[in-house]
Amino acid sequence: MSHVGSGKAASSKEQTGLRYPSNGKTIYHRPLNRTKTAELSQAAFAYLFSEMVIYAQRRVAGIQELEKRLNLQGHPIGLKLLDLLLLREPPRSQTRPLTIIALLHFIKINVWTHLFGRQADRLEKSSNPDTPDEYMIVDNEPLVNAYISVPREMSQLNCAAFVAGIIEGVCDGAMFPARVTAHTVGGKEEGEMWPGKTVFLVKFQPEVLEREALLGKG
Amino acid sequence: MASSKASRLGEEVWKTRMDKVNAELVVLTYGTIVAQLCKDFDSDYIEVNKQLDKMGYNIGLRLIDDYLAKSNTMRRCSNFRETAEMIARVGFKIFLNITPTVTNWTSDGKQFSLIFDENPFADFVELPDDGRAQDELWYSNILCGVLRGALEMVQMQVEAHFVSDVLRGNDTTEMRITLIRYIDDELPPEDD
Amino acid sequence: MSYYFAIIGTQDNPLFEHEFGTSKQGGDGQARFGDQARHLNQFVLHSSLDIVEEVQWTTGQLYLKVIDKFFTSYISCFMTGGNVKFLLLHQPNATASAPAAGTPGAASTSSASRSSTAVGANPTSPQTEEAIKNFFYEVYDNYVKAIMNPFYKANMEIKSPVFRQRVAAAGRKYL
Repeated sequence: MSHVGSGKAASSKEQTGLRYPSNGKTIYHRPLNRTKTAELSQAAFAYLFSEMVIYAQRRVAGIQELEKRLNLQGHPIGLKLLDLLLLREPPRSQTRPLTIIALLHFIKINVWTHLFGRQADRLEKSSNPDTPDEYMIVDNEPLVNAYISVPREMSQLNCAAFVAGIIEGVCDGAMFPARVTAHTVGGKEEGEMWPGKTVFLVKFQPEVLEREALLGKG
Repeated sequence: MASSKASRLGEEVWKTRMDKVNAELVVLTYGTIVAQLCKDFDSDYIEVNKQLDKMGYNIGLRLIDDYLAKSNTMRRCSNFRETAEMIARVGFKIFLNITPTVTNWTSDGKQFSLIFDENPFADFVELPDDGRAQDELWYSNILCGVLRGALEMVQMQVEAHFVSDVLRGNDTTEMRITLIRYIDDELPPEDD
Repeated sequence: MSYYFAIIGTQDNPLFEHEFGTSKQGGDGQARFGDQARHLNQFVLHSSLDIVEEVQWTTGQLYLKVIDKFFTSYISCFMTGGNVKFLLLHQPNATASAPAAGTPGAASTSSASRSSTAVGANPTSPQTEEAIKNFFYEVYDNYVKAIMNPFYKANMEIKSPVFRQRVAAAGRKYL
């Protein structure tokens, strides 16, 4: 492996390229739990997100590319959340997910509650024998769709593509590589209980199932 | 409206009339926006600042209606000083749950500063150590655009820019706002 | 006791490295790897990654304890949620003779009287395990702070001198 400049245990400060305020506060001084339960307005998220979409729209050609781009923007957030949430767990439950079900529970419960204030509504495994690698996370009323006066750019599908990217980041980071896509399935009929219902389809790569089978036997 | 009344209004609206989300969701989303811009513009931070300002401007144009509806203020601010207090104690409060300090007024009352003791967008952020970011990027520049757009919709043309930022190693994060002029409704030219 | 600490990314690429020695029991905090040992250290750590890959699926614990041994060097491992590995190679100094490899309690002659509680004298004692665990957790806290930065991308090197200071401080505190 290539050599990374290794520092010796010197007591003198190395030359830093970045300036810091005179109180010396850096990101390393700030406790990670400080904003754990902090809140901002939903409007702030909605405005930022819609600008993100508008900006992305100008740089892509077509809806599929747009969704892919939003998925890509959500991905690094998933990676960060994986370790942030794990670090915040009490020691007893501070474990890396080792199985698909453990991972999906982590997403359904920990990730969803952190981002949206509640668990996802349902977790399902595909009943289709041809696709044993597919699982569904169902959200009846995605928080991101609940904001009123939604500009046309912020369609439900766009929001969900971003969230799908976050989920994919969590899966990839935990070594369960997957493709995650979002599908709005809420009906348009009158009296439909959950018009904004969204299904996040998680399709795991073959090696994940192979490993799962191998570990199951052990 | 007196400052204390504005503070109470801001607090009340924040508590009772604003739907809330986890702050980190917003902060991480903003972070991904800035990071994406830096990538798209190849770390041309001057351009990134412009883009952030533009995005903010678009937000401001829409956000003002939200603000007016939620804050239920029927009458216009009587002067720019009152505007400044409302921005700090109501505007920032109801959307970002912060109250920057209004200070450094010029004697003609047309220019003031907002000092941010807290800036949720800057949580977790350390600018790239590439020798330029700390000299060129204004990470929270979107806020300048928001003010510009929102105030334009209530007939004020302002200019807003950051003069310091803790992310750049300064001791404070300060935005300077200047009233350029009040925008009068002009009559359309007569048809010939 | 000399320590060589590395953070290895998901592509087996090093993100961070730091050498130090024990500050306990009058240690001066300087590593005492011989020249040859220093060259070997990277190689040794890298080859222990194969074992990490096996061990990581047998337990969900983040702290994997000692996972490999190479002559007198022990390699301890901590695995983050994102599959990034913290590897700590700990090697008793040359003056501390370890007669038979892997014999617990084969303490150095210089600290024989206090060897049962000496961190570092016995690389596999419960005290050492606990100390290394504390070290790893403190590094983990700082690591998560580094990766939460929107400008940090997966598998980037961690170059911040403040991060390095924090790791060094954790080393002095626990090891």
